[in-house]
Amino acid sequence: VAERGVQNRIVRGSDVHADVVERPDVCVIGSGAGGAMAAARLSEKGARVVLLEEGGAFEPSDSDLQEATSYPRLYQDHGQRATADLAITVLQGRAVGGSTAVNWTTSFRTPDRVLARWRDAYGSALTPEALAPHFDAVEQRLRVREAPIEDVNPNNRALLDGASRLGWQVARTRRNVEGCANLGYCGMGCPIGARQSADRTWVPDALARGARVYANARAVKLTVEKRTVRQVVAEVLDPATDRPTGRRIAVEPKVVALAGGAINTPALLLRSGIDLAGKVGARTFLHPVAAMVGLYPRRIDPWYGSPQSVASHHFADRGPGKIGFFLEAAPVHPMLAAMSFGGLGAVHEAAMEKLPHASALIALTIDGFLPGEEGGTVSLRRDGRVQLDYPIRPELWEALREGCKALARVHLAAGAEAVLSLHDDPVEIRAERDIARLDAAPWQPCRVTLFTAHQMGGCALGRDPERSVVTPELRLHAHDNAFVVDGSALPTSLGVNPQISIMAIARWAADGIAAALR
Amino acid sequence: MARRPRPSTILLPGERREGRRSFLKKGVLGAALLAVGGGTWLSTRRTVAPPGLGGPFHVFSAEELAVLVAVAERLVPQRAGFPRPRALGIAARMDAIAAQADAATQGDLRRLVRLFESPAAGLLLDGAPRLFTASSPEQQDGRLEAWARSRIALRRTGQRALRRIALAAYYSSPETWAAVGYAGPPIATGARAARGVRGG
Repeated sequence: VAERGVQNRIVRGSDVHADVVERPDVCVIGSGAGGAMAAARLSEKGARVVLLEEGGAFEPSDSDLQEATSYPRLYQDHGQRATADLAITVLQGRAVGGSTAVNWTTSFRTPDRVLARWRDAYGSALTPEALAPHFDAVEQRLRVREAPIEDVNPNNRALLDGASRLGWQVARTRRNVEGCANLGYCGMGCPIGARQSADRTWVPDALARGARVYANARAVKLTVEKRTVRQVVAEVLDPATDRPTGRRIAVEPKVVALAGGAINTPALLLRSGIDLAGKVGARTFLHPVAAMVGLYPRRIDPWYGSPQSVASHHFADRGPGKIGFFLEAAPVHPMLAAMSFGGLGAVHEAAMEKLPHASALIALTIDGFLPGEEGGTVSLRRDGRVQLDYPIRPELWEALREGCKALARVHLAAGAEAVLSLHDDPVEIRAERDIARLDAAPWQPCRVTLFTAHQMGGCALGRDPERSVVTPELRLHAHDNAFVVDGSALPTSLGVNPQISIMAIARWAADGIAAALR
Repeated sequence: MARRPRPSTILLPGERREGRRSFLKKGVLGAALLAVGGGTWLSTRRTVAPPGLGGPFHVFSAEELAVLVAVAERLVPQRAGFPRPRALGIAARMDAIAAQADAATQGDLRRLVRLFESPAAGLLLDGAPRLFTASSPEQQDGRLEAWARSRIALRRTGQRALRRIALAAYYSSPETWAAVGYAGPPIATGARAARGVRGG
């Protein structure tokens, strides 16, 4: 039998020796930005909460700062998640804390113009005023503060200096850290516990208020009767192998709060037979990312220092018919760099050899705002595995290309000797006149490396049940006691790194859930 | 009253299930090749696995790993300071990466490797009826490039899969870090190290 007396600590898969039945007020599925926040807030409001997390529970001292072990341990699909055609590498966390446990700490509030768009186009109830107290609470608990200038590493400095010289908007970001040593390994799990991720904040808060938190517990299905979710069935995984132990956790809650992230939440609904005429899993947005690598005469050491401390939103609004983008830096470690760089053989080696002098800057496209822009789709393969497809429309290729041009200009302005694209045959830019070469490069799936670190949508909120999955209050249109409290409820992408937006929205929604429980 | 939970229909790493939609069947070309090959043309029965690959392996056969090692040797050709992939025991490292994938993806990867190696594929796709492993370095580079730049999206996807597994295995190995100027993590890791940083 599970150690039912255990309080104030996470129950791991190895602690569960028999099938378990739980009957809490709320079952929260997923312990990332949305789920952990909702669990903490609902516990604070007096609700009895069970929180299920598929990934493992790790301590800072578990982090070995090796790519070979960190990605399989801390990311979805053991670090191998991608779109079905492998065109877009998907970086998405899978652990207690979800993606917040691998997040590069950039903390922006939701832009007002995005909230306005959601109100106008989708009937959202979210206003800057409604969210302000929630952002305040999140930022206070997560110690969100502007990065001091001395924390800007040479990789981010390239963006700060280059964009400044070009006269573009650029600023230091706010980060959710306390006692940060600027090691540079946020993406591999902070080894000193300085990042104030959900596993260091909301999960302990929920535990302290009596929530029961299961790690290695994979929700596989919701049992539904008419308009009510009766039961959540979870498989217990062995923390050592990540395979099912045969034990199960059946949770029979009054309310279910789904927070598996924008890929796994739609997948869980689909596995449970809830597809709402194809709307579940539709309109998935990724902030698709292209990168340009600047090679500098000076050492950059892009692997060390705070991974992100600077951002430019100069091109966030490029006018009607155009997809905007924003610019940030990305930390570079050898494995991910090697998988991302283009070129075969000697060309690839030559670029790798220059890694200490390389700065990697990224353009994140702001998808979901053009008329008729549907983004990607989450679906199930016949065997139940999740599949993500993201067809890239011409307007998005244009934005990725223009984003790369902007990044090339930043690098050149910051003093780069050469700038490389991530095409299979890398475009090399040494001066402004070379930038037009990007127009002739092949902008096609799997001919240029693309990423996503921000997954949004798939269970879009909206007033109209014909066009959305959840209500503006984030309750499923078709089910009375099920809510979606993660990034999948967003009807478009955000135009900023989503972490604290998802937290603030989840906290706002949790207050509604708590009221409904009374 | 809630119904009893039904057995899971979800595949997790290591599980097997029939009736899956394969990577190759998604493309017309893949389907045609599989039909033409009937399993025989796409086999690695003529592939010679060099001695010293290591093992035992969990996903790939020694012959399949011989193909992947040959790919890695071309992705990281001879260069001062860069260890030879073979010398790193890269076969076992690539096998370990594939072992992290679910069973269906592992099957796809194995079919991909056999297709890439196959003389039939070489003939149909590149006009050269040779095993990849029995081709000259120039011919091998030619096949890798042809797949990377193919107009057929499925071949580009396949090339990307081969490339990712080989490059991930090579550059995640600490023995290769000196070649790329990486000194490794700035602190010793583990509980003792974390205390050291906090105190410092």
